Amino acid sequence: MPSQTPNRPKAVDVVIIGVGAVGGIMAKELASAGLEVVGLERGPMLELEDYGSKDSIRSTVRRDKAEWVRHEPISTRATSAARSQKRYTSTPMNNVGGGLLIWTGSATRFMPSDFRVATEEIAQGGAVRANADMTGYELADWPISYSDLEPYYERFEWELGVSGDGQANPFAGPREKGYPLPPLRQGGRNQLFKAACERLGYHPHPTPNGILSQSYKPPAPYDTRIPERPGCVYCGQCNNYGCHVQAKLSTMWTAVPVAFETGNFDLRTHSKVFRINTDKAGRATGVSYFDEDHNIVEQRARIVVVASYIYEASRLLLLSGSGKRGLANSSGRVGKGIMAHGDVRYTGIFDDFIVNGFIGPNSGMRMDDFNANNFDHAGLGFIRGGTIGTSGGGAPVERYDAIPPSWPRWGAAYKEYFAKYYTRMADVASHPETLAHQDNYLDLDPNLKDEWGIPLPRTTFRFHDNERKMWAYLGDVQQRILREAGASQVWGSPTNRASRWAGGTMMGDDPASSVVNGYCQSYDVDNLFVVGASVFPTMTGYAATPTVGALAYRTSAYIAANDASF
Amino acid sequence: MSSQVALGALTPRQANLVEAAAARIFPTTDTPGATEAGVVVYVDRALADVYPELRALYASGTRALAGEAKRRFGVDFLRAAPDQQDALLADFEAGKIDGYSRAGEFFETLRTHTMEGVLGEPVYGGNRDLVGWKLVGFPGHQFGYDDPYINTVVDVPPKAVARPYATREEWDAQSNPE
Repeated sequence: MPSQTPNRPKAVDVVIIGVGAVGGIMAKELASAGLEVVGLERGPMLELEDYGSKDSIRSTVRRDKAEWVRHEPISTRATSAARSQKRYTSTPMNNVGGGLLIWTGSATRFMPSDFRVATEEIAQGGAVRANADMTGYELADWPISYSDLEPYYERFEWELGVSGDGQANPFAGPREKGYPLPPLRQGGRNQLFKAACERLGYHPHPTPNGILSQSYKPPAPYDTRIPERPGCVYCGQCNNYGCHVQAKLSTMWTAVPVAFETGNFDLRTHSKVFRINTDKAGRATGVSYFDEDHNIVEQRARIVVVASYIYEASRLLLLSGSGKRGLANSSGRVGKGIMAHGDVRYTGIFDDFIVNGFIGPNSGMRMDDFNANNFDHAGLGFIRGGTIGTSGGGAPVERYDAIPPSWPRWGAAYKEYFAKYYTRMADVASHPETLAHQDNYLDLDPNLKDEWGIPLPRTTFRFHDNERKMWAYLGDVQQRILREAGASQVWGSPTNRASRWAGGTMMGDDPASSVVNGYCQSYDVDNLFVVGASVFPTMTGYAATPTVGALAYRTSAYIAANDASF
Repeated sequence: MSSQVALGALTPRQANLVEAAAARIFPTTDTPGATEAGVVVYVDRALADVYPELRALYASGTRALAGEAKRRFGVDFLRAAPDQQDALLADFEAGKIDGYSRAGEFFETLRTHTMEGVLGEPVYGGNRDLVGWKLVGFPGHQFGYDDPYINTVVDVPPKAVARPYATREEWDAQSNPE
């Protein structure tokens, strides 16, 4: 019989909700500082048999990993007038290590200017010069700067292992140290992209990647307890697959084993937290959760860390507390300011070049000439931008619909096309920044509930004009690159698909307009921390992971240094 | 059917119609197509194992295909000329089949499953002898690639591996399914 957690186990120092990117790092850091830590993960600890399959039907067509999130649907709608729909999304995942299991590894730091969008666009007149209509948008600076995060970016890169060239991107912020590993090997797709961008006068560089280019174990002064892992074998199956050699960065095989080694970390999987508990003074006293058998367990702790994806972060705060507003929400900003990248993707086919896109890495080269404020926006009608890079690849079942619009979709001519061009196609994609807008928010669905009877987190979200104008502009650049690279045909379009969410528990300097301070600490509840992309005031034109990791390290250091006050 | 296998979801009649239609979607030319890949086996197993809710669509879709062929050409779909079959399938694709409102949906489902049957893992019944992967130049489940194969054909024999592997030895120990 499995040992059963009592309904009211002994109080601990820290309870962490969610053991993914943030939770794994914070468990390691806080347990290493001598704090007794309980990690509550709603999913399982996966084994190779669960995640290691390279079966393209299982992983990309039938999406076995989406099956793991079947207990945690969300609710979505485009506007507050629309009816919400239940939806399953595998982005946050539900397992120890979280979404790092299936990510492609794109691991660029934000740029210094990314932290001060309001200053640049409003105070310094960027939006006016661009002739951009900012009606409804909510721009804010971060309460911290790039230099505040720089040492913690370094810890993330050197402890968990990021491959890249610290000198290659002229738009990147200053760094104390380079990357611990050289860039991943560049395949044909990346050579095409690099050469085309250079001819066009852009600044291509290898994508800093959370995939080891060589076997690696962190050297001192970093955490030398982290196990050694082998380098990438370039199988090409990153996106939607687990990494069979563990070259891909995940806390599952880096930070979490070290947390266990301290003896101070108690990981409880299949534990679904539904409330943060508070005392009469309004301080957090711990959390309540359902264990695997649906028994309610109350875990008391001096410090509570919400380390979940954005859906759960806002949802938990709204479900907790005594008033109508929920917990940590005197500002009324919980759930506000949610953002998601759009998806602008173009494909080219090459008569004179065999691309072999199925060979890794998925994410190889990029350039930031049209990201953030790296280019002149005068009169463009929009502000900000996005990183542009190589993409695509994938097994044939992921690519059979990549067909030029004028070409037949079936029959002998289609067969001839796909047989010739499956190995001769490449994508160029961008991560266009989306800005917070007053129409977009996250709240509790009044009707739809999960299997525990808890209201689903509901996103009300649509893209607005600044995004659409940016997509058209970035899309033109992407097509130009593919044509310059020698593609005989180029096609694609922006889509309304939203991904890589951020916001909802925004950090800021002013308690009246933000949920947490620069240390991810609640303004209302001083022993409550919310750590993750949910605190981003702006999401930037990059993927969030390294910044989320840096925040986890920085918040851990703050908690450990101020432990006596909690 | 070209290969007699035990069916789990389709009737023999439905299986013959699926196989004939799939053969127009991804035809046999001087290279193998849907028939050689075993698409009908893929579809039958998919309906039996994971998409039971699509059985009704296949039942009505194949019935409509046969009925429309009879009405238009006076022959069974299986005996219609390839260009007649193509014309009929194009009308299904366009959703222009009188009296059958799910024509477009049926065509898209059949096309999707045909391509999955040609290009998916053989363990699901299609891509027999890896004909689909050989056709498009995909080496399947390699442990990794020691060479980036820049502008070069990847000349390694394709492989389909059923079980997850962490090491090259574990990968090496598994051979292609019979």
